[in-house]
Amino acid sequence: MTTTCTPSPSLSRQVTAGCDENAYKCYQCKKCTSGCPVARYSDMHPAMIMRAVQLGQFDMIFDDRFIWLCTGCETCTTRCPQGIDIATIMDELKIMARKQGRIPAGTPSAQMLKLNYDSFVRWGRMWEVELITLDVLKRPSSARNWFTLGPKMLLKGKINPTLKRGDTKAMKRMVATAESITRARESRAGGEGGQS
Amino acid sequence: MTKTLAYYPGCSLHGTSGEFDASFKATARALDLVLQEIPGWECCGNTAAHSINRLLSIALPVNELAKVEQDMRLDAVAVPCAACYSRFKTGAHEVEESEETAADVRAVVGRGYDGGVEVENLVDVYHDAVGLEELAAKVTRPFDGLKVACYYGCLLTRPPKVTLADDPEYPTHMDEVVKAVGCQPVDWNYKTDCCGASLALTEQGIVDDLVGRILSDAKACGAQAVIVACPLCQVNLDGRQIEIAKKDSGWQGIPVVFLSQLVGRALGLDDKALGLKKHLVDIQAVMA
Repeated sequence: MTTTCTPSPSLSRQVTAGCDENAYKCYQCKKCTSGCPVARYSDMHPAMIMRAVQLGQFDMIFDDRFIWLCTGCETCTTRCPQGIDIATIMDELKIMARKQGRIPAGTPSAQMLKLNYDSFVRWGRMWEVELITLDVLKRPSSARNWFTLGPKMLLKGKINPTLKRGDTKAMKRMVATAESITRARESRAGGEGGQS
Repeated sequence: MTKTLAYYPGCSLHGTSGEFDASFKATARALDLVLQEIPGWECCGNTAAHSINRLLSIALPVNELAKVEQDMRLDAVAVPCAACYSRFKTGAHEVEESEETAADVRAVVGRGYDGGVEVENLVDVYHDAVGLEELAAKVTRPFDGLKVACYYGCLLTRPPKVTLADDPEYPTHMDEVVKAVGCQPVDWNYKTDCCGASLALTEQGIVDDLVGRILSDAKACGAQAVIVACPLCQVNLDGRQIEIAKKDSGWQGIPVVFLSQLVGRALGLDDKALGLKKHLVDIQAVMA
C-alpha cells in the first residue's frame, strides 16, 4: 500500500475529543488484530489503524474498507492490554469518515448503517423489510442475495411485513437534541484543535 | 414466587425472530415470571446509532431504562436480544462513568436515570432471575443428554467492563442452564467468536466464511445442535447454511435453536408456542 499521505495531528485530537479514547497508549502488540474476525478481509487491520491514528495518517484509514467491515464484536476492546476501547475508536472513525464524505467505493455496509439509522428515526423502530427494500432499490446487485434466502424465509413465516411503530414523536425529539448537542461540541473541539 | 420484570423485545423479536419473542414469553409464563412490555418502546439504536451519533446511541437505551425505573417502577428489565442488551448495558455504564455524558443524555431524554434497573439478557433470566434449581424443578420433559454447543457470540459477554461477565473468553452460564434441562454442553472453540452480525446484509461471503468455521467446530466437537441467545446470530448461523451447502456439497446441516425454545421444550410447552417450525435447518428432530 502506498503511504504518501499528509499527517494530520488535529484529526487524532478529534478522535479523542469525539470518544474520549487515547490511541497513543497503543504499543502495537497486535492482540487486537490477532482476534479480529474481519482483519483478513481488507488491507488495514486494527493495530495498523491505531498506528495510523497516532501518526495522523487518516487517508490510509479512510481509503481502506476496514472500518466498514468492523462488526463491533468488541474482541479488540476486551483483549487490549492497555485498556483502549478500540471498537469505540472504530465507531468514531466511521462518524468522522461519514462527515467528511470519505466513504470509499465498495463499502455497502456504510450505506446500510445509514438506511438502518433513518429507518428507526422515521418509525421509532427499525423496520427490517423497509431496510432491505431500500437497499435493493439503491444497490440492485444486492437483490441476488435474497433469491434463495428470501422465499425460504417467507415460506417459514420468518418475515413480518408489518411494523408496530414506536413513539415517533419522542424519537424525533431525542434525535434532534442529540444531533444539536453533538454539533455544538464538535464546533467547540474544532475551535480548540484547529480544523485541517 | 411470582416475579415481575419489565420486558424490552426490540425490533428483531417483532420482525424476523417472532419465535424468539413467543418462546421467551411462553417460558416466562411457565416459570412464574410476569413480563410487562415497556409501553411505546423505541429502537435501542442498534449497530447504526453508535457509528453515526454516539450521544443518541447512549440516550436511546437510557430513555427506556428511565421509563422502567420511573414510570413502571420496576427494578429489572429482561432484554433477550443480545444486541439490545449490549446497548442497554453500555448506556447505563456510560452515564454512570461520566457526569458530562450523563448531563448530555439527560438533555436528550428529558429526565435523569438513577441507575436503579438491572438489565438481564436471556441467559441471566434463566440463570439468575429464575435460578438453576428452580428451573430444574420445573422441568417436566428433560432432554436425554442431547449434546449441544452453547454459542454466546459477541455481546452477551463483551466488553466485560460493561457486561461484568465472569469469563468473557470462555463463559459457562448458558452451559449451566442447558445442563439444568438435561442437555450435555460440549467444550468447543468458537463460543464467543463473531458470526459476522449485520454484515449478512452486505458482505455475505465473509459471513459464510465465519459461520462455516463456527458450525464446523461445533460439529467436530460432537454437538448435535447449536444453542443461541441472539436473533442475529440465529438468522446467520441458520440461514447461511443454505449458501454454505452450495459451496460444500458434503455439508450436513446443524440445527440452530434459541435457548428459550430449548428451555420451553423441557418445560413441556407445545411446539407451536415455541415456533419450532420456523427454522430453515430443521430443529424438530432434535427437539422431539
